[in-house]
Amino acid sequence: MSDKITRRNFLKIAGAGAAISAVLTGCGPMSRYIVRRPYTEMPEYNQTGLNTYYASTCRECAAGCGIIVRTKEGRAITIEGNPQHPLNRGRLCARGITAQQGLYNPDRVFGPIFQARGDTGRQARTTWDEAIPVVSEALKSPAGQIAFLLGTAPDHLFDLVTEWTRSIGAPAPLRYSALASFEGRSTLQEAANRTFGKPALPYFDLANAEVVFSFGANFLETWLSPVSYSAAYGDMRQARPTRRGYLVAFEARQSLTAGNADEWIPIKPGSEGLVALALARLVAEARGEAAPAAARSIDPAAAAEAAGIEPAKLTDLARLFAASEHSLAIPGGGAIGQHEGLAIAQAILQLNVQVNNLGLPGGVYLTNTEQPTTSLAEVYNLVQKMNNSQVKVLFIHGANPVFELPKVLGFEEALAKVPLVISFATFPDETAMLSDYVLPDHSPLESFGYQRMLAAADRPVYSSIQPVVAPLYDTRATADVLLTAAAAAGSPLPYTDEVDFVQQMIVPLISAGGFYTAPEIQTFWSRWLQYGGWWVTEQALDTDISAASERPAAFSGPATLEEDKQFYLVVFPTQLGDGAGANRPWLQEMPDPMTTLTWNTWVEINPETADKLGIHDDDVVRVTTPYGALEASVYRYPAIRPDTIAIPFGQGHTALGRWAEGRGANPAALLPAAVNEAGDLAYNDVVASIALTGKRRPLARVESREGVYGEH
Amino acid sequence: MAAETKLFGKLKTTEQEHEDPKEQLMFDPRPREELNRMVMEMMTTTTRKFWLWAIGLGAGVAVLLFGAWGYMISTGMWVTGLRRPIYWGVFIVTFVFWIGISHAGTFVSAILRVFKSEFRRPFTRAAELMTTFGLAAGALYPLIHLGRVWVFYFMVPYPNARWLWPNFRSPLVWDLLAITTYLLSSTIYLYLPLVPDLAMARDRTTGLRHTAYKILALGWRGTEAEWFRLKKAIQIFAFAIIPVMFSVHTIVSWDFAVSQVAGWHSTIFGPYFIIGAILSGVSAVVTILYVLRSTLKHMDYFLRPEHFDALGKLILVFSMSWAYFFFNDYLLGWYGGEAAVRQILTLHASGPAAWVWYTMLICNIVIPWLTLWNRKIRRTPWLMFIITLLINVGMYLERYTIIPLTLGHQRTPFDWGVYTPQPVEISIVLGTFCLFTFLYLIMSRLIPLVPVWEVQEGQVAHTLRKVGKAEVPSVTELD
Amino acid sequence: MAEVSKGIAEKWGLVVDQDRCTGCNACVVACSMENNVPFTGEDNVAFGRGTYWIYNKRMWEGNYPEVAPAFQPVMCQQCGSAPCEPVCPTFAAVHSEEEQINLQIYNRCIGTRYCANNCPYHARQFNFEDPNIPEPMNSYLNPDVTVRRRGVMEKCTFCVQRIVAGRQTASAEDRSLRDGEVMPACVAACPSGALVFGDLSDPNSRVSQMAQNERQYKLMDELGTRPKVTYLKGGGRNGG
Repeated sequence: MSDKITRRNFLKIAGAGAAISAVLTGCGPMSRYIVRRPYTEMPEYNQTGLNTYYASTCRECAAGCGIIVRTKEGRAITIEGNPQHPLNRGRLCARGITAQQGLYNPDRVFGPIFQARGDTGRQARTTWDEAIPVVSEALKSPAGQIAFLLGTAPDHLFDLVTEWTRSIGAPAPLRYSALASFEGRSTLQEAANRTFGKPALPYFDLANAEVVFSFGANFLETWLSPVSYSAAYGDMRQARPTRRGYLVAFEARQSLTAGNADEWIPIKPGSEGLVALALARLVAEARGEAAPAAARSIDPAAAAEAAGIEPAKLTDLARLFAASEHSLAIPGGGAIGQHEGLAIAQAILQLNVQVNNLGLPGGVYLTNTEQPTTSLAEVYNLVQKMNNSQVKVLFIHGANPVFELPKVLGFEEALAKVPLVISFATFPDETAMLSDYVLPDHSPLESFGYQRMLAAADRPVYSSIQPVVAPLYDTRATADVLLTAAAAAGSPLPYTDEVDFVQQMIVPLISAGGFYTAPEIQTFWSRWLQYGGWWVTEQALDTDISAASERPAAFSGPATLEEDKQFYLVVFPTQLGDGAGANRPWLQEMPDPMTTLTWNTWVEINPETADKLGIHDDDVVRVTTPYGALEASVYRYPAIRPDTIAIPFGQGHTALGRWAEGRGANPAALLPAAVNEAGDLAYNDVVASIALTGKRRPLARVESREGVYGEH
Repeated sequence: MAAETKLFGKLKTTEQEHEDPKEQLMFDPRPREELNRMVMEMMTTTTRKFWLWAIGLGAGVAVLLFGAWGYMISTGMWVTGLRRPIYWGVFIVTFVFWIGISHAGTFVSAILRVFKSEFRRPFTRAAELMTTFGLAAGALYPLIHLGRVWVFYFMVPYPNARWLWPNFRSPLVWDLLAITTYLLSSTIYLYLPLVPDLAMARDRTTGLRHTAYKILALGWRGTEAEWFRLKKAIQIFAFAIIPVMFSVHTIVSWDFAVSQVAGWHSTIFGPYFIIGAILSGVSAVVTILYVLRSTLKHMDYFLRPEHFDALGKLILVFSMSWAYFFFNDYLLGWYGGEAAVRQILTLHASGPAAWVWYTMLICNIVIPWLTLWNRKIRRTPWLMFIITLLINVGMYLERYTIIPLTLGHQRTPFDWGVYTPQPVEISIVLGTFCLFTFLYLIMSRLIPLVPVWEVQEGQVAHTLRKVGKAEVPSVTELD
Repeated sequence: MAEVSKGIAEKWGLVVDQDRCTGCNACVVACSMENNVPFTGEDNVAFGRGTYWIYNKRMWEGNYPEVAPAFQPVMCQQCGSAPCEPVCPTFAAVHSEEEQINLQIYNRCIGTRYCANNCPYHARQFNFEDPNIPEPMNSYLNPDVTVRRRGVMEKCTFCVQRIVAGRQTASAEDRSLRDGEVMPACVAACPSGALVFGDLSDPNSRVSQMAQNERQYKLMDELGTRPKVTYLKGGGRNGG
């Protein structure tokens, strides 16, 4: 590589390109063709006291923000946003920053492991020379009996596996994480399909909107792409000198987004559809238009009552929404992760149709049409097949289904029926502990690759991934393992290794009109690494949207509760994401924004309800749903409906290292296996009951309970 | 010697009328040699109980104080109960407490000496010893509470390779200087009147003790010139040490008063702390005197109800003064209306730790006011012992209220906090109590705890004279 | 004095736009990363010893259902007249002439914790124990920032190491610092752009302009600490 690009040229490119940081290509640790030299002849990137910056992509969630990693003497020191990246524009969230605690985590899998299934005491280190033939043998299984379960992000590995499975006629790899299900990605896409006639993920132009109605979309914390939405939120508030955007949030439990809203409307879970329809009707009336067909039969007053709010409030909000030129309604994970989620999502999207913001600034656009993730329903099918012993080999990478999937689904039991389970986990997570082989992939900061199709990007983006440090342990890129094994198994793909694959995949981009080009792939490759990916300079969103025919919808409304016995249960993801963040001490120690709690799981209860039930702060309660139960300490949370309780997702690990294990409880035990029409988990219309256990376990809060709540 | 002879007027209360003047030490003279013998016996008698106590306290110092402190040094300050926002806890509370205790010696000795209060004579030394040992115990705390005690010398102003001078704007440096000055001057002030007694002891001991006393007595022979110089020196020191004493506790109070902490930033803290210190110190003198009286041989001859009575009156006066300052501090803080201060004062009286505040008021005001007006109570040593002990509990709690409780409720309610002393802290605090008692115990057998020459001098000056039929006490004013 | 500050009349300041701030706490983690702020564990956080150089003081406004959190990210306010400085006996809390900020010299600190008591913002943190960073996590420690041992105070420095690095880069290129060139870690991370950093001595810098905003206020201005962090009030109806 370095014979093609001299260092001088690098610097020229770097100087010309990077706005703030000098970004060098990954000639150093990225190279698997490392030449060992005495340390007295230090390579330039390794000069003592000098920083070397690498552009890469954050793999901590599926959003795919661009990052720049500062390394010094071969160690990753700081991670910041890539200022040029079209998604996050130099910003980064707490999760992304902690990637280095994943890289340097002492609890990583240090090398390939063979273990007697489920018996961690009998695990033994193996070698890659022994492990690759195992993979190769596994790939020789009948095509229909091979299954791949990958993480949500559409990355190079997904493309590689897809290509391979297609070549031998195996089922396409599944992509799943709990976060994707909480976000309702599939529902969102299907709702767009039904409302606009295009199966694309909608893009919400928050920055230019004036009145925003969010239905359970916690876009400031976890939903789709929190960094880019946070930036847009900031702009919505203050970027326009004269107009300050107005945010209204409809949800039962005040999330961070609702906390930042100008108005928080605590509607009952399950009433989002009714409220959206009622709003549609009222908005139409306020604009002097005919109400849409779906909303004609709805009685706004009854809807408000069903939702548990004042009818007058609904009318006021509808007027506000109707009066603004840039109104926007966002269907979030909380609203659409329900039985009727698809219809709810449609009803909310319909509000946008109502104010005619489609394809306009401050409105709704559509992005690409590829499936953003695998729906949970398809994962169910896989579990079904596993149970029926139709799966001989299961490969798992980037997902931790044993932890993330609802317990009632019985993934763990199904896993036991699969003869060979091979995990490519970087960490000894719950799923890896139940696998036959753990063949650890590099950590994202040691890997090559790319991620395409970023959920909240307003243009085509390929975000590049490159190693910023040499691999610390005896790990191997999963793509390389598969390529080698596939070749040995007699079903080779035409790539020599991972880098070759990535390079060949990006060849079409050379002439695809991005913000740079190159005469040939090597030069293009170096720029690709230098800039942290490839994208076009102009916004490229699908503005050609029109409402397809609407269908009347009917909602059954929220479940009725036995007062003070039953509660709506809200399970919400936190900064720990799908739970993979639980082994990052910084994330554990970072105070939860709303409660300032750290390091544990808690149950949020409205103080009024808690008083009625005689529940105090830090009392351990048992939360029971028809699907399971868990115990956790109570946090008396003032910003939640009195008939609702909420539990954060992400803790309760039984594996995953010293900081995650044995901490808190996993609400996956409480969740149903039910899915909505689009195949996303219907997690937000569960009814739970609580009971005191008589135990107390103080929660680690940063706030002073006495100072904030006046309680001693 | 005699310059002027004053006759006491007729005492008014009937009770006192019936009092036999012989009950007073000054009118119950004994021959000089007998006094010397009594004091020597007091010094040299060691019972089994004494040794048990000495060993117990010594072990207490070793384990509770140095053991716990060593443990804290080796593992870190996390063993304390300190936390954001309460960065000072019982260490500083106990520091202020000991510095307060140390005021007694100077007060009782120097001020009463300057004002020629005759009742001071038998217990000046006991009080001065308290000053020195109180300071010794208290002066440990600025070291104990340091996060990095091994570099404590960064605070000391001396030319150094670091090219750094301490920050003289910091009250902690003032503290360092004030406490060192006070420790030095109070030690000298303890030593000066000790010289004739050491010489007395030198002449009545043999062996190692004799050698030690010989060195310490500086060749005292008791000539007129020596007495003249000694008295001059004591006189000068008695005057000079009073402002030092005032400065020390004022400066300790400035640790708090010059800060920006709501509830600390009070202009009245200087005198308030001094009055508190004297109240606490004089009470501690009574406590100690009771212990001395009931444990040391012949002490009941030297220490009599009259002394408890006189000190009881002083305590009552200081309790009232303390109440006055407390009221001033509290009222004006409340009246000033600064939200944070009001909040703190409200929480002191109604918060979760309100019991501390109420106990303080009961111990410092209610108990002395209800009891000390009564002559009988004042003259009952064991009652005085209990009362003064309670006053010191109250004074300890006063400092506790001012330090951790005030720090815990500052301007941002988000950062409020509750402080609970942890075992290591409590151990160290108890350890310094052991240290103080241990030093006192050992010293009681090494030096004459009663300034025997002062008692003799007093007894010489006091006589009962016949005026007509009545025997009237009279005192020859010395100097 | 004149020579020292020749050509350098910096006065670094920070503006926190509370209308943009979402309270997401990315700044907290970014700060930990840049400044080697140790994580302390559940027990320590519960005990009030969680070490944060910047943290959100979340209070609640109103009652259900009109309840809303009021976020206020508070870091060292870099007071012009800092209460922590005069009380330190060893000059460990000092004012830097060049940057006009308040710095903590860890080597000099003997741990009296007086400065922490005297800081009305509670911005100072005490190291109750040595950082517990197991191998190989020490690899990510930022070599530009001291790892503090137990017994010393620490606090936000406006990422002075970045200021110095930025100044050196500029001087090597023979130019003056550009506005926005130097960003503390929290400012660089802030997803919603709520934090703006720059030189207050330059009236045209973005931070100076924003500090003039009519929404501006300073924390506990009445104490006369002259903080260099300016807050812009958030909330309000349209046009707030």
